[in-house]
Amino acid sequence: MTLPLGIFYALSALMIGFSLVVVTSRNLFRGAMCLTASMGFVAAFFALLGGDFLAASQLLIYVGGVMVLILFVVMFVQTPDLFRARQTSVRWIPALLLAGGVGALFIRAFCHIESPTELPVLQPTSTALGHLLLGDMAVPFEVISLVLLAALVGALVFGLERES
Amino acid sequence: MITLAHMLCLSAILFSIGIYGVLARKSLIAILMSVELMFNAANINLVAFNRFLYPDSLWGQGLVLLVITVAAAEAVVGLALVIAIYRNTKNLNADDLHLLHD
Repeated sequence: MTLPLGIFYALSALMIGFSLVVVTSRNLFRGAMCLTASMGFVAAFFALLGGDFLAASQLLIYVGGVMVLILFVVMFVQTPDLFRARQTSVRWIPALLLAGGVGALFIRAFCHIESPTELPVLQPTSTALGHLLLGDMAVPFEVISLVLLAALVGALVFGLERES
Repeated sequence: MITLAHMLCLSAILFSIGIYGVLARKSLIAILMSVELMFNAANINLVAFNRFLYPDSLWGQGLVLLVITVAAAEAVVGLALVIAIYRNTKNLNADDLHLLHD
């Protein structure tokens, strides 16, 4: 086994382990911390696949922004009796069967995909990505700012305390 | 050497873990966290296809940036809804939320 493949398997095992804790842990706070670690490993895979700018944005936006928000909400709503309460619904066996079936189907389909063996050397992507975002992808790039504005207003509207 | 099939199988596993979480967990916050797992599985797929099949283009990575942004917006609105529901019902169990039912 070569070194890159070994690194790949080690990262995959860690990421899958942390993700399993996310969906099985009774303590929501522990689940959120493990999700943070899992997002960090996804950033590692982005870096492994040549997306240096993407890995940095994944760390900044997910690990630095979204996860802090989720942790804040968990601390806001979690009461001590929730730590011991059962966290899975009664339908967990059909859910497990469905998820396992979908996963097995995907893996069965993906195993025979041929991939090219000759790949170009990894290059820094930030400059090219900036040109792409403000060139060919300018319309989605502008629309996404409207989406963010709408999300901001929506979060304020839902989050405001009603004066009664 | 890492091949495209390795990355696709990895993201399939991550996606099915996310499906299990969405279907089986009770808490609304846990369901949101599982949806984030599924988003990330899709992102790994996009970057892997970009790297292995179209190494000269960057459209896959640009699309992933947009997906990350939309996921952040989704998390913000979803968590605001969770807080609003918690403030009104003091309960975040998805099985017990049937305000419109009766």
